[in-house]
Amino acid sequence: MKIGIPRALGYYNYYPFWFGFFGSLGIEVVLSDRTTKKLVSEGSALVVSETCLPVKIYMGHVLNLLEKKGVDIIYSPSIQSIDHKIYNCSKLRGLPDLVRNVVKKDFLLIEPTLDKSEKNQGLYQYLYESVAPLGITDKKAIKQASKVGWAYQNNYIGMAKDGMHPMEAMETALKGKVVIKSRKSDYPISIAVLAHGYNLYDDHISMKVFKKLENLGVKAYTSENLSAEQMQEGLNVLNTNLYWANELEISGAAGSFMTNKKIDGVLTITAFGCGPDSLMIERITRYAKRLQKPLLNLTVDEHTGEAGFITRIEAFTDMLFRRKRASIIQNLNKQVEIDLEREEISHSRETIVKV
Amino acid sequence: MKISFPHMGNLAIGVSGAVRALGGDVVLPPYTNKRTLSLGAKYSPEAICLPYKLVLGNYIEAIEAGAEALLMIDSPGTCRLGQYSDIARIALTDLGYNNVEFINFDLYKGKLFEIYSGFKYATGNGNPLDLIYAVRIGILKIKIADKFDKLLNYYRAREIEIGSADKKYNKAIALVDKALTLKECNDAFQFGAESISGVEIDTKKQVLNVDITGEIYVVLDKFSNMEIEKELGKLGVQAHRQINLTDWIDKSLYPSILRFGETHGEKAHKLAREFIKRDVGGDTVESIGDTAFAAASKNTDGVVHLLPFTCMPEIISQNILPNVRNEKDIPVLSLVMDEYTGKAGFVTRLEAFVDLIQRRKNSKDQVGVLLS
Repeated sequence: MKIGIPRALGYYNYYPFWFGFFGSLGIEVVLSDRTTKKLVSEGSALVVSETCLPVKIYMGHVLNLLEKKGVDIIYSPSIQSIDHKIYNCSKLRGLPDLVRNVVKKDFLLIEPTLDKSEKNQGLYQYLYESVAPLGITDKKAIKQASKVGWAYQNNYIGMAKDGMHPMEAMETALKGKVVIKSRKSDYPISIAVLAHGYNLYDDHISMKVFKKLENLGVKAYTSENLSAEQMQEGLNVLNTNLYWANELEISGAAGSFMTNKKIDGVLTITAFGCGPDSLMIERITRYAKRLQKPLLNLTVDEHTGEAGFITRIEAFTDMLFRRKRASIIQNLNKQVEIDLEREEISHSRETIVKV
Repeated sequence: MKISFPHMGNLAIGVSGAVRALGGDVVLPPYTNKRTLSLGAKYSPEAICLPYKLVLGNYIEAIEAGAEALLMIDSPGTCRLGQYSDIARIALTDLGYNNVEFINFDLYKGKLFEIYSGFKYATGNGNPLDLIYAVRIGILKIKIADKFDKLLNYYRAREIEIGSADKKYNKAIALVDKALTLKECNDAFQFGAESISGVEIDTKKQVLNVDITGEIYVVLDKFSNMEIEKELGKLGVQAHRQINLTDWIDKSLYPSILRFGETHGEKAHKLAREFIKRDVGGDTVESIGDTAFAAASKNTDGVVHLLPFTCMPEIISQNILPNVRNEKDIPVLSLVMDEYTGKAGFVTRLEAFVDLIQRRKNSKDQVGVLLS
């Protein structure tokens, strides 16, 4: 039995879990190809133009699975809420409904719902709905499989938090390994890159921003390097409560990074027309001004050119380098002044003693 | 304390009525206009939806007019609406308006208690009986205004002298706004209904029926939807607004024990299940259900679906509606409203749509004649 999982949206956060879960139940998982320009335009043709880029790309991946990979079962979950009254964005909540209505092909859609605001729609119900259409209804086996899934997921999260690039961490985790690398740590500048995983780790959307930053001599930090507690504290810095299901990775991380002295600047990447991000970025922009942290907002859509994108990042890092240099020189000058003062004092003491 | 709140259709009539009945002081911002929009857009994030920009503009104009406290609902709509007051507060603080208080009605926490404590704080009147009376006045006024709107749409599509129904309507609404007691409200309703019904109409005129549905703010707010009901009326079309404050009050404010019968939302949910299986926030399920309902009713000729630009829930319905249109055979026009929408282009699209449904109706009638 083969099920297709689109390499978009939830893939970037939950794929190790799904891999372990389905694999342990004897279901083969087929992934779609990596995002390409053609795939994006095919996906965009299905939905109205106001829809945000990640959802357009998701539709492209669904088509890719059905047409190229020979799959006729698509797994498209709806994550309604992750805690009591902490809801997701409408487009992610209605994702399977969207797929069902716009992809006019013959296939089986598996559409489990995770809704922590409802009483009987928790994780196990969600997992049950995930495999029940395939004929697996043994609740004990499902529970056992979810444990295998969590093992993979925890390995992934652990390695990503340690500083490995999350996509590298995912590959390592899928092989069942845990690797802790020693890393070169003498970067002159550190930037926090904030975006949803499905925007940041899709090389087509983020245009390999990590590689570009590495070449510029910049260390990039992401929300994956923070613990949930640190991000929760970050929310307090921004004076807000959790409202969106995926708010921690943007607002929470921003609050934590903006109060961190090691971080020289914050770079946010959002998809055009993203509802939750428009509010989160507004809050972050206003607080960045109050906390005096340099901030660059980049909005991407399917027409964004790579050259303009890179130029802005280069200009931003240039500015950060100048700022850092200026602050170092300022500190040095202060130190020199202090030293001079001390010398004068000791000199005058000496004269007093002599007299 | 001088209290103010944003406009949304007939909301101002109801809320100011309730606050006045409690002895509070109301400062109303001018009805949403171009200045409101440009003020709001200037201090808002670029990608946020039109309602927030207008609400923020309302707040700024209210403060300029001397308001000391702003009312805001945090409705369990679970779209961006729930964060409006929070973001607006930061924006207003950065603008230097530090002395303004926000009074939030957080409907997550329990409906009756929040209304009670909110109004008590705003007006200083804690007598529960007074409060019940005030809320009754507020709700009655909103319901009367909605009924007037319905009447107006009927007479506007058929009136002989263009504009005569609107004149009567404006007088009637002003009278409702002035009323201080329940009896005065009812009298104003009697008087207004009679006066609007007195408009001279062409009884033989063949009128098209168009349902209006979509995101609640742009459907209700006459500025942001470019007075679509009036424009349709001019074209000889009777507009039926499917999303009303009356329904919203029945759905969100009344405790569920006190509710009898099926609300508009429940009806829409039932009809929409075929196309959308889960609630995704906002008015998506209502929009889809209303369209399916319009297709099922014989009198309705078409549906206009209104949504603000970048509205998250309505993008889902905009994606699903073509499917409803094909399967249920009903013309649907989706109109996206934002600050750059031009009136001329808007009216042209409405005219084209009305032409289309007129032709469709004529050909259907001909088929009916041939078959009989």
